Amino acid sequence: MHVLKLAFANIRKTPSAALSLALLILISTLLLNIGLTVLFSLQVFYEQKVEELQEAHAGILMRQEEYQPEQLEYLSNYPGAVKALQESVLLLQSARFQYSGSELSSALMVVNAGAEREFPNPKFSERLESLSDEDIYLPYRFKVGGGYKLGDTFTLKLSDQAYSFRIAGFYESALLGNIDMGMIKFMLPERGYHELENELGEQAEATFLSVRLENSDDAPGLIADYSRQFGLDAYFGAGFFWTGDVVTVKSANTMTVNIVAMILIAFAAIIVAVSLIVIHFRIINSIDDGMVNIGILKSLGYTSREIRGSMILQFTGIAAFSGVIGLLLSYLAMPVFGGIISSLAGLLWTTKLEVPLNLASLLLILLTVLAVTRWSSRRIHKLQPVEALRGGMAAHSFRKNCFPLDQSGGSVIWMLAGKTMLGNLKQNILISLIIAAVTFASVFAVMLYYNIGSDRTAFIHLVGSETADVVVITQPGTDSRVFMEEVQAMDGVAKLTIQDILNTEVEGRRYYTQVTEDFSRLDNDTFYKGRYPKYANEIGISGAISKEIGKGIGDQVTVNVQGRSETYLITGLSQSINFLGLLVSMTTEGMEQLAPDYESSVFNVYLDHEDTKGFIAKLQGQMGNRLQSVTDLEEVFNSQSSIYTAALFSVMLLILSITAIVVILILYLVIKTMILKRRRELGIFKAIGFTTLQLMNQIALSFVPVVAAGIVLGGFMGYLLTNPLLAFLLSGVGIFNVHFSLPLSGILLLGAGMIALSYIVSVLVSYRIKHISTYELITE
Amino acid sequence: MGQPILRTEKLCKSFSSSGEQQHVLKNLDLAIGKGDFTVIMGSSGSGKSTLLYTLSGMDKPTMGDIYFGDRYLSGLSNDQLAIFRRQYCGFVFQQIHLLDHMSVLDNVLAGGLLVSKDKKALTAEAKRLLTQVGLEASSWGKFPSQMSGGEAQRAAIARALINRPQIVFADEPTGALNSATSTQVLDVLTEVHNSGQSLIMVTHDLKSALRGNRVLYLRDGVICGDLRLNHYGEEEPSIRNEKLLAFLSGMGW
Repeated sequence: MHVLKLAFANIRKTPSAALSLALLILISTLLLNIGLTVLFSLQVFYEQKVEELQEAHAGILMRQEEYQPEQLEYLSNYPGAVKALQESVLLLQSARFQYSGSELSSALMVVNAGAEREFPNPKFSERLESLSDEDIYLPYRFKVGGGYKLGDTFTLKLSDQAYSFRIAGFYESALLGNIDMGMIKFMLPERGYHELENELGEQAEATFLSVRLENSDDAPGLIADYSRQFGLDAYFGAGFFWTGDVVTVKSANTMTVNIVAMILIAFAAIIVAVSLIVIHFRIINSIDDGMVNIGILKSLGYTSREIRGSMILQFTGIAAFSGVIGLLLSYLAMPVFGGIISSLAGLLWTTKLEVPLNLASLLLILLTVLAVTRWSSRRIHKLQPVEALRGGMAAHSFRKNCFPLDQSGGSVIWMLAGKTMLGNLKQNILISLIIAAVTFASVFAVMLYYNIGSDRTAFIHLVGSETADVVVITQPGTDSRVFMEEVQAMDGVAKLTIQDILNTEVEGRRYYTQVTEDFSRLDNDTFYKGRYPKYANEIGISGAISKEIGKGIGDQVTVNVQGRSETYLITGLSQSINFLGLLVSMTTEGMEQLAPDYESSVFNVYLDHEDTKGFIAKLQGQMGNRLQSVTDLEEVFNSQSSIYTAALFSVMLLILSITAIVVILILYLVIKTMILKRRRELGIFKAIGFTTLQLMNQIALSFVPVVAAGIVLGGFMGYLLTNPLLAFLLSGVGIFNVHFSLPLSGILLLGAGMIALSYIVSVLVSYRIKHISTYELITE
Repeated sequence: MGQPILRTEKLCKSFSSSGEQQHVLKNLDLAIGKGDFTVIMGSSGSGKSTLLYTLSGMDKPTMGDIYFGDRYLSGLSNDQLAIFRRQYCGFVFQQIHLLDHMSVLDNVLAGGLLVSKDKKALTAEAKRLLTQVGLEASSWGKFPSQMSGGEAQRAAIARALINRPQIVFADEPTGALNSATSTQVLDVLTEVHNSGQSLIMVTHDLKSALRGNRVLYLRDGVICGDLRLNHYGEEEPSIRNEKLLAFLSGMGW
């Protein structure tokens, strides 16, 4: 009990220091808990959702005429398959609609909401009570990312026809609810469905095969085996096949959230480190300041264990209390992150009580606080009562008189600031390291946002997208050579390249393969090692494939298409965020060796003017019947990346705010302790004629080099290490080389802002010097 | 008495303690002569240190006026008082109060650099003063914790003199020293006084008090005795001793 009293007495002595420490622990527990919860829950989130929604683990969509009953039979008999279903749907290969303020073009699958089916059963996150024939049900992502709400009018454009619907509900779908998987599922009520079916006719009739497996992880394997079995090696634009599985969707959608979660955990670790350093110095100082009191307590019969126990209780008590509040607050903050996850995944995230993770977060922090408190207070154990009563041993070991006033240049305030700075070197090095860590995190976050949200050049380069203005897909049977010549001759066309995506089998594994006539004509060279293929016998593979098949530059690989094999030389390694980073690159000549009847049908058009819409209208007017789809690439990019931009902007703001809080808190705690400790010294300075402002400046200036050193170090690390760190974080999705950049002015601005903030905070905190009276010198 | 360098009119200083006002200095009218070595004596709690620090601008009076020459001190702000102190005053404390993390030379220069920008001349002056108070060049680079009490106090006297103050305030400068080092310190102060420097010293030590040429006796915040003596060394020590003892005895010391 007396130990508890001592602990409370210690807290009461410096309540504001206890409060600020509590705030640090609170923030770190909050971030750690959110980070851990998101990171771990996300792993099971998709599986739980798929179970909850009773969705298919894999789906295959094809034109009605391409469906054969053997396909369903194959899927039904596939090892591990629980159930396979066939459903008639409508396929809109190139539909346009508004999404988040931009017109988006995508392939759509329209299903009959009224049809009886075993699975998937739509689960509505919200739905209108009254129904009408003009209703449409959209994926939940259209609500959280697309800017739609119930009752809104949704217009679908097919060629020059427009169809308007009333949004009657939003439903969740793990497999077909996303805008960036190449296929989106819409649902219409029975009557509306049949009306559209009649209007569009046979050309829209399609079949959707869906499979549920015992283990959802087997879904990509099933798709690969199915494709091999039914020869889907042909270019998918010619005979339409779309395949998808929940594993692929999950990895594509969780990447950003995983990075955000890891940033939060890293930041929590930094703040925990700050808290531990603060605790360490507070214990050291309180032993120094309370030496006589320790002597008195020891002479009264308190054991070292009891005195140390009071300190341990004091700090672990603060940590436990604020940690629990941090945990509770994390549940208030979770909906914000849940919102980000929902908007990225198109699935409703509900915050659940995660007791084991909560306990792990709290325990982790408590144990580190306990360990540091025990370690820092070990000196008490060795102190003899008499020694403590005499104020302890003189702990001064000045090895050097830093900044000797008779020899150093500059004003006396600067020189004294230098002395103060070097006099607390150990502490200041730690402060510098903390500032370096938060600066690094800030540069990382700002760089991430700048390159994804603001100047996207490096991001586009990173994801492997080509910066064309328009992507055109031609109808099967179109003579590509004639088409290219005609488009090239159109006004405003600066360049035209082929950008086909086909399925090939490389070393027995199926991969998407991009084919173009000349890689040097592409704007975005995605090869980070070696070079792109130039000749018919050359091939490029992505880093992820290189890892999978264990082959690199200079090796030969066997490529198989429709039973025909050829050997190619690997000339370079590329990267792309698409297709999970698994992408093969070949020249058209190279592909023609495997498929002599291969005809290019996807083209990138680069314009030399801004009027993309005008060009698209002209192209459609001129080539109407030869076009399957025309996409304004920038609009697609804008609408798809807006949600990432918003998420990264939130993370950047969060990190910058926490950086500011960390800088403020650490300077507050350190300067306050310093002033308490140097009370007598500051009194002497005042006595010999220093003004309060001069002393405030002296203290503030003594921290400027410390903070500046941390900022320079952190900024430098951020500048140098952000790209390798991102490459490491993104290696799972096939990115091995990142070239994000931040204008030097941006880093300088950030650094200058942090130095200004730390100077202002230092001056404000040291204002308490005003209350130190020289009179205290005679009351000793 | 020379021209007054410091004078007070109806000087009062009170402290509030547990809601009660404690009047430490009561309506003091006092003039301190230029070039005098004024000693303030009195029993514990009589207000002598309070008087010293109020006169020096380290603390503000509750009521009344203080004039330093023609300058009116009572109305100055804390920062104005700090600037006043650096320009006109030097201080020697009982607890010495050198800055622990600075060398002896830096301790002397720290106050000096506030007034003079001529670092070279100032350093020369600091070294001259340190030599004057008997500190060898070998000790100028030492830290206070590496010096004896007497050496540290002599360094503190050098610090007090660096800005050529018009007056030096000393609060029990030998209070924390042994007899031998006390004498060394008092000799330095006497030498300083003999060079024309004005000094005010608070002490309850008879040996220290003998160095002054004026002794004020304070009781309950009121000056109740004022003894004038010749400069130290100008008369027989025994006669001086006798005069002082008689004065103090009359004060009930």
